[in-house]
Amino acid sequence: MDLLDLIDAVQSVADGVLFGATYALLGIGFTLIFGVMHKLNLSYAAASIGAAYASLLILAGIEAPAIFVFLMAAVAGGVIGGLVYLIAFKFIPLANPLATLMSTVGLLLLIDEIIVHSTAGVPLNYPALFSDVIIPMGPFNLRGDLIFVFALGCVCMVVLLLLLYRTKLGLATRAVSQQPIASELCGISITHVNVLTFVLTGVVGGIAGAMTGAAIGMLSPLLSLPLTVKGLIVTVIGGLGSIPGAIIAGLVVGGLENFFQFFRGVSERDLYIMLLLFAFLIFRPGGIFPTTAGRD
Amino acid sequence: MLDLQAVSKHFGGVRAVDGVDLTVARGQILGLIGPNGSGKSTIVNLICGLFPLTSGRIVYNGADIADLPPHARVTMGIARTFQNIRLFGQLTVWQNLWVAQNSSEQRKQNFLKRWLGGSRSAREEIDRTLEFFDLAHKRDELAGNLAFGEQRRLEFARALSAKPALLLLDEPAAGMNAEEIDQLDGRIRRMRQDGITVLLIEHHVELVMSVADRIAVLNFGQKIAEGTPAAVQANPVVREAYLGTAAAA
Repeated sequence: MDLLDLIDAVQSVADGVLFGATYALLGIGFTLIFGVMHKLNLSYAAASIGAAYASLLILAGIEAPAIFVFLMAAVAGGVIGGLVYLIAFKFIPLANPLATLMSTVGLLLLIDEIIVHSTAGVPLNYPALFSDVIIPMGPFNLRGDLIFVFALGCVCMVVLLLLLYRTKLGLATRAVSQQPIASELCGISITHVNVLTFVLTGVVGGIAGAMTGAAIGMLSPLLSLPLTVKGLIVTVIGGLGSIPGAIIAGLVVGGLENFFQFFRGVSERDLYIMLLLFAFLIFRPGGIFPTTAGRD
Repeated sequence: MLDLQAVSKHFGGVRAVDGVDLTVARGQILGLIGPNGSGKSTIVNLICGLFPLTSGRIVYNGADIADLPPHARVTMGIARTFQNIRLFGQLTVWQNLWVAQNSSEQRKQNFLKRWLGGSRSAREEIDRTLEFFDLAHKRDELAGNLAFGEQRRLEFARALSAKPALLLLDEPAAGMNAEEIDQLDGRIRRMRQDGITVLLIEHHVELVMSVADRIAVLNFGQKIAEGTPAAVQANPVVREAYLGTAAAA
């Protein structure tokens, strides 16, 4: 392999890590909901893409500059998050672990169907901000749209971490995920925390959906299933319930995806990511940061 | 202040609590004792709302609270500790107390102050409570890293965080040595001085006899005696429940 190939390889991996910020956000969403409810919300990535679609719709209606698409996606994501809780969790018996799994799979398919029907299945262009900006760094070129996506992802993560670790609202959320019964008996309403978590992760998901759209320049209903799978892989590799784990795993999976794509081609790429998942499940089932048991 | 009226809790065919009447007067320390499995912890769980009642009424300050969720009862002033420690292990000592400040008075604070930074009075309250429980030097330590005795004290402190009018203590002396029990004794007395009503469930008979104003005795889910510590101690029915009769043996 000569030097030019090496430079291309590094460039590709770097692009992947930047795009990995979207996986990290989705992973955080999955992991937060799992943390407070001990349930998987399989409709999460589909809802995130749905929020990105909704942001296009709103943007077309109000004639705002393209940058507002992210704000709209965040708001739409929050609303959809609340609806997801209402539809797939509120009235479903939580004691049965399969019930919410089925209700969220159903919701995933429903959201996909809604998107397909309302767009006739045709991909829509998404405003790719800063796509004409290229920042040269030595032999490498950093794509402006990816840098923007990455920076936005980092801002989201920092805000989220501050919220979760420094405010009482976030501490209450973490208290519920550690000791649900004791939380309730300290005066914390678990229902409020659940709703809050769904709205909050919805906002994060909406931003992640918009970031995905902006990074690849379009939205398609075909995105939701792969993003669901990637989000879940990131969650498992990072350690179910671990936020730092989801961040690191998101960036790693993003980087490795492009690494394998560069060396083995796009058709084999996901194969290796799956193998990575199985390697983790066998050799380190708790993920990068296993969350300690001790919850009742 | 708290009135249990013919309260029953059946788990399938098991009558864990069966038609118990119990009154806790304001400012009083009521001890609740009984052999293992006599229904003491179930009563605490019913009062704080962890289980629904099978039948009966729980009246608190004149209102029937039997249908309220647990967090609403905390807001009304009923707090508890646990027999097995249930701290928020990944939160610091200070944060454990902060998230538990949920009384109706504390809830009235400005939303942003309350949820984002904590008002000055809230922070001072936490510092005072930590001082009272000799935990001030551990305020930034993760609760999960504390020694056993410190964790017990922190649980106690956390229960006081919501400024309860009624405190349910579920075996607070379990696993404590004589010196720690002594300190516990002192703290319970101090709380009575501060006007907190206490329902104390305890196996450690000496502690209960020492601090309780009145004692109720449970056996097989039913109340078999109630009275002053001296009267309860002298009661033959109570002796029988604890030691068994010759015929039963």
